[in-house]
Amino acid sequence: MSNEFNLKRKQMGIWFTLPTVIILILVLIYPIFASIVLSFQKVRFLGQGLSKEFIGIANYISIFSNHTFQSAFIRSIYFTAIEVVAILSLSLLAALLLNHPIGRHSFFRVVLIIPWALSPVANAVLWKWIYNANYGILNFILYSLGIIHEYVVWLGKPWLALNMILLADIWKGIPFITLLLLAGLQNIPNYLYRAAKLDGANTWQQFVHVTFVGLKTPLVISAVLQSIWALKVFDLIYVLTKGSPADSTVLLNYLAWRETFSNLDIGYGAAIANILFCMMFLLALAYIRILRPRQTRRGE
Amino acid sequence: MFYFKRAIGSLFIRLCLFVFVGVCLAPVLWGLVTSCLPQSALTSKVPDFNLRNFTLENYVLVLDSSRGLFLGLKNSFLVALFTSIVALTFGSAAGYALARLNVPKSNTILMMILATQMFPGIVIAIPLFLAMTQFNLIDTHVGLIIVYLSFILPIVVWIQKGFFESIPMDLEKSAAVDGASPLQTFQYIVLPVSLPTLFATGVFAFIESWNEFFFAIIMTRVNVKVSSIAIAEFSGQYQTLYGQMLASAVLASLPIVVLAILFRKFILEGFVEGAVKA
Amino acid sequence: MATLELLNVKKQFGSVTAVENFSLFVNDGEFVTLLGPSGCGKTTLLNIIAGLEEMTSGEVRMNQRVVNHLSPFERNVAMVFQNYALYPHMTVAENIGFSLKLRKRPRQEIMERVAQVARMLELEQLLDRLPRELSGGQQQRVAIGRAVIRQPDIFLFDEPFSNLDAALRIKTRGEVKLLHQKLGVTSIFVTHDQEEALSLSDKIAVMRQGHLEQFGTPEEIYSKPASKYVARFIGSPQMDIFEGQFEYSNNRYVYRIGSIALVLPHSITIPNKPIDMGIRSEFVKIGETGFPATVHLVQPVGPFTYITVYWEGGSATARVNGISHLKPGEVVQVEFASEALLFFDRESEKRIDLW
Repeated sequence: MSNEFNLKRKQMGIWFTLPTVIILILVLIYPIFASIVLSFQKVRFLGQGLSKEFIGIANYISIFSNHTFQSAFIRSIYFTAIEVVAILSLSLLAALLLNHPIGRHSFFRVVLIIPWALSPVANAVLWKWIYNANYGILNFILYSLGIIHEYVVWLGKPWLALNMILLADIWKGIPFITLLLLAGLQNIPNYLYRAAKLDGANTWQQFVHVTFVGLKTPLVISAVLQSIWALKVFDLIYVLTKGSPADSTVLLNYLAWRETFSNLDIGYGAAIANILFCMMFLLALAYIRILRPRQTRRGE
Repeated sequence: MFYFKRAIGSLFIRLCLFVFVGVCLAPVLWGLVTSCLPQSALTSKVPDFNLRNFTLENYVLVLDSSRGLFLGLKNSFLVALFTSIVALTFGSAAGYALARLNVPKSNTILMMILATQMFPGIVIAIPLFLAMTQFNLIDTHVGLIIVYLSFILPIVVWIQKGFFESIPMDLEKSAAVDGASPLQTFQYIVLPVSLPTLFATGVFAFIESWNEFFFAIIMTRVNVKVSSIAIAEFSGQYQTLYGQMLASAVLASLPIVVLAILFRKFILEGFVEGAVKA
Repeated sequence: MATLELLNVKKQFGSVTAVENFSLFVNDGEFVTLLGPSGCGKTTLLNIIAGLEEMTSGEVRMNQRVVNHLSPFERNVAMVFQNYALYPHMTVAENIGFSLKLRKRPRQEIMERVAQVARMLELEQLLDRLPRELSGGQQQRVAIGRAVIRQPDIFLFDEPFSNLDAALRIKTRGEVKLLHQKLGVTSIFVTHDQEEALSLSDKIAVMRQGHLEQFGTPEEIYSKPASKYVARFIGSPQMDIFEGQFEYSNNRYVYRIGSIALVLPHSITIPNKPIDMGIRSEFVKIGETGFPATVHLVQPVGPFTYITVYWEGGSATARVNGISHLKPGEVVQVEFASEALLFFDRESEKRIDLW
């Protein structure tokens, strides 16, 4: 039973999706596979072109035994973990604040969207100035309050620099997650709170049994999204430290870029990129795995 | 006693909100203030806040074409504009098709689109760089636009698909019964109804393009230097010219922040919801 | 004008069969209602008739012509949707005239025909308004106008009144009936409201889980329901149906329900299987004669009062005119009018005539 009308719709559907699919295959699918292939090669620039020499998993072996990579790897995990915990908890507080009747005003939405709208580079420039060793406002405030007795070179000390970058990224990342959690909060039906209150629950108990339960999904989503974004950090490093002092602010994404475009070891850089890809892929899988069972349960 | 507790409670909340707003805005405000102060005021041991010192000279200096910011703004605008237009055109069409038109293997396509949000640009940047080099598209507007489509097109498709799904099916059925072909239904019914959302999605794509940095430094050199690169360079080359450095950052960010504030309702609803739906 | 014929229409969604072996013939000009609860397949069937949904197997014929492969427009049907589905960005006039615009009719013609339809439906003052500026009832009329202007062979209505409040519903119902009387176009109407079906239709098709339970006039469906399902579905309040048994005492057959035994006519033929019995509330009489029962619930609804009585082994609802002063706990005499008794085969649930 072929219905001509439905056939026309299908045809139109194909024509409408074709350009997008073609573009995505060209700029997305093909490069992903090419990247995998590249990681198994030693690629060099030879005059006008490239030489590609197949070397199997040599790139990966040298990566894993490379000290710089190992440090960057650990640093990335540290960075991601701290960032996710910090952003999630601070955003949750902010979302709770904004969910309160006083906080519902649209003024606060405007306030939130400003950090979000700044480009990562503009954000980096801003914090570069704030962290400035000689004239930065952070030093000025802390010194005036007597918390420090001497101006600190925030971006000059290894451990400190990394955490200052972390701080800048946390500041930038809070708005979006706050809004996500806020949407989640507003999706929790009011009658659940009323029922809990009638059952004798106090404010803390209400939070644990109604709010937190209702926020499970948005929290998981936030955790995964933020982890992926934390692994992607680049602009901040480029503008603030370029990896120094002594490579102490080199994270995986930055390392991959540096190996490819500064050190021109393209195969090696591609291998790092692929490892990063795997990490994110696993995170995404975790995302789907954690969420899907919940959805089918709801259906039952 | 109850009212007292209530009053303390609401005072506490107000205090928290105040702190919150302060934390969110303070860095930005400080940046703005800095951009309006002359070098001398900023490099004295105690920042000199004397109102008389406020000046726009930083902005004037920074827009001087030798600094590259003006060119950067122009390039950002061009690239963002055309990326948005192309992404909107193809992405909305695909979004509609995936929402309503029985596309074969639509689930695979959707998975593909979802997956694009979840990996680092560096993975595709390397092969794309090599390919662009081969086709002489490095440092061209067209080249950068093509690369930007790789991450903007999927977002547009996703947002638009979500929106088209929210248009009642009865509307399209009614058009079919009235004699509209699928194309006419799209043209006369779906598109007009979606105009506000289309525009807002376009703005969102514009914002994402403008703020991009990573692909920009890989794919461009001199001709297509976009504003994000310009201010990054500024912060490297002229980093001791603090006022100007911040003025450049403000100029590069202002258009986007204004757009974001104007369209905040849509951005918040659309993107946040999209993330949850995923 | 057209006749409509459905032959063994079947629709499957994956493993779920929404419509099964459905056959129906609608005469030219008839108003037929597809009646059934949510999920019984009536809207799916309507969409199949309209051409908006493909059937898995079967045939749809209009005026003897097989239309399976034709688009909705080519079938010359018009549809009024549950949510009106008015194009929100177009004015009332543009909404009504849209189908003509698609066929590239000259502007003058479109304006004239729209004006004509607007006059018929009292929409002249509203032609320049947008749908969101109209009330529910007005939107409904625009939706009807959009269908009428097509001069279709068949009108299709998909639960068009569900979104209206009770008073408006009844008023719009009347308007649709008048319209049908005036235009005489074959109409298929889908609803779950049995009162609506009874008041509007020439014929009713009662549906259950994708099957046709009964197809007949409102009178037939009401007084001679083909099955227990139809009997319970039609009529408000629901028909009382009892699982009793026949007994022979004093040279007569009686039907025993708990402590009461109903006397049956001599001409009755008793079948050899378990039989259920049903009776509608208007035929349950409270008066001087009958068997004793205790009043359980008294529910006045204006022109009538529904009195539920019980006895050992059963209960029934009687309808009396006006207000009743009976109180729960009182004992009254109840009689079932024997000409209104309906009997159903307990197993097959089909109604059988016993005399």
